[in-house]
Amino acid sequence: MHRYSPVKFISLACITLVVSLLFGLFSGASDIPSSKIFGLFAFGHLDMDHRILQMIRLPRVLLAALAGACLASCGAVMQGLFRNPLADPSLIGVSSGASVGASSVIFFGGASLIGGGFGLPAIVMGAFVGGLLATSVVYRLATSVSGTSVATMLLAGIAITALSGAVTSLFSFFADNEMLRRISLWQMGNLDGADWPRVAAMALVAIPLILVLPRDGQALNAMALGESEARHLGISVEKLKRRLILLTALGVGVAVAVSGIVAFVGLIVPHLVRLLIGPDHRYLIPGSAILGAALLLLADTLARTIMSPAELPTGVITALLGAPFFVVLLLQQRQKIVG
Amino acid sequence: MLEAQHLCLSISGFSLLQDINLQLKPGVVTAIVGPNGAGKTSLLRLLCGEAKPSSGEVIFNGIPLNQWRPKQLARILGVLPQGSPLNFPFTAREVVMMGRIPHSSGLEKDTEIVDAALESVGGSYLDKRPYTQMSGGEKQRVQLARVLAQIWEADDSGDRVLILDEPTSAFDLAHQQLTLNVVKNFSQQGVSVVIVIHDLNLAAACADQLVMIDCGKIAAQGAPETVLTTALIEKVFNVSASIGVHPKTGSPLVIV
Repeated sequence: MHRYSPVKFISLACITLVVSLLFGLFSGASDIPSSKIFGLFAFGHLDMDHRILQMIRLPRVLLAALAGACLASCGAVMQGLFRNPLADPSLIGVSSGASVGASSVIFFGGASLIGGGFGLPAIVMGAFVGGLLATSVVYRLATSVSGTSVATMLLAGIAITALSGAVTSLFSFFADNEMLRRISLWQMGNLDGADWPRVAAMALVAIPLILVLPRDGQALNAMALGESEARHLGISVEKLKRRLILLTALGVGVAVAVSGIVAFVGLIVPHLVRLLIGPDHRYLIPGSAILGAALLLLADTLARTIMSPAELPTGVITALLGAPFFVVLLLQQRQKIVG
Repeated sequence: MLEAQHLCLSISGFSLLQDINLQLKPGVVTAIVGPNGAGKTSLLRLLCGEAKPSSGEVIFNGIPLNQWRPKQLARILGVLPQGSPLNFPFTAREVVMMGRIPHSSGLEKDTEIVDAALESVGGSYLDKRPYTQMSGGEKQRVQLARVLAQIWEADDSGDRVLILDEPTSAFDLAHQQLTLNVVKNFSQQGVSVVIVIHDLNLAAACADQLVMIDCGKIAAQGAPETVLTTALIEKVFNVSASIGVHPKTGSPLVIV
């Protein structure tokens, strides 16, 4: 399999990201001429176009890019940690826990949007807390005196996901029509609530995460050989696991909280990047972050323009595009093994 | 030097190892032999610090093994476990390069060492090939090269030790021979080598010291000629064997 040079790939991905940012800014329900780009930085008396750019489009594209980067780099880390190229960040229970948190807020809070603090709606906070709670349960179940067992964690994640699914279903069952609609909309994954507080919350977690995670790239490479092999290479495996699980839970937790469950980004992007530049986590993690940002941004732009002025949920678009793509990848791999 | 002092290991009431005393000196190849389930792998796990003894101690270069800092230990203790579940398509070069993680010797030097390590196991041709597409024997050679690269040069942290668990299980005859020669050469640079091996003749051919384990105890240890006797093999392995002499090397030959 031919590999591209990581530097070349990352520069190309950066260019793609910038292009998709501009594309996202200038597509939407109302046509804004591209000459208005300086309106992004204008202040004082603003015309309608400038306001749309500053208050609606810019937070939306930034949120999509940050969430995409966060989900994809966390996906790369999870796949490394579980030593399985098909692992997904939701494996540790964070998405399903967030689902319980969000639906309980919708259920008990009713249709009213109670403030959750920091200018964020309660549903965002509920999802975040739910995600972290579920992950900590999964983590505790898998941790004993002899350390954290990644295999147990996988199974505990499945159990907690099933349990959370049941709780969410219970909420849906007892919910009235309006609540039900909101719960299922949330679960489809949607970026339409993008505003500056959400962007700030996302940026606060995503930016440090994207800078910090690649530092563990070399240690994750060693982990790929096996846990005891990594230990014999001088890696403090337990500390590494604890740190990475905490960081991914935080990252995915915030991403899911602000955007709902956006399927497939965390699974497919690292997989794709690995096919293109190889499995070295030192390049895989930043490469996934940039490509993830660009892809989620493009998918979101598509979601809000394809049936304009109506919007499709972003998660539906990522799953619609992602699933067939994933099947193609699987088939290719099978052929490689058979042929 | 790696020393085992009165090592005992029991797990959930079962005694796996009892009072093991060993001295693994620099420049000496020690082969651990014994029937299945005798405790060979458990002993290796204690020697490399992966499991903690129930009592007794492993002393490495004068310091108890568990007091070593992981990174420093990794510079002089190379361990090759059995089987290597690597699911990502790293190339042979990338895998061997991981052996250099504990060192900060610079890319140029690391590249030199990786080249040499791959060549020493006859794996230069694998260089850019993905690990996931290699045969069992090729994978084993690449992993061996990785561990060799890890302790390729003397380090000021102390004497080096190489621990190998069944390194030749997937090898054809030529590669068995090649590996044993590599291991011998390595020990001649002042490395203590510990190797678990099933084939008694291979053990006799490559080891300076044989340690025969039976039911968690050392049944015999010493030079291959003294350990490989008809009586002991009958007692430990429960087979009657004849002992000959290798026509070329003069080492004992077990014929079953």
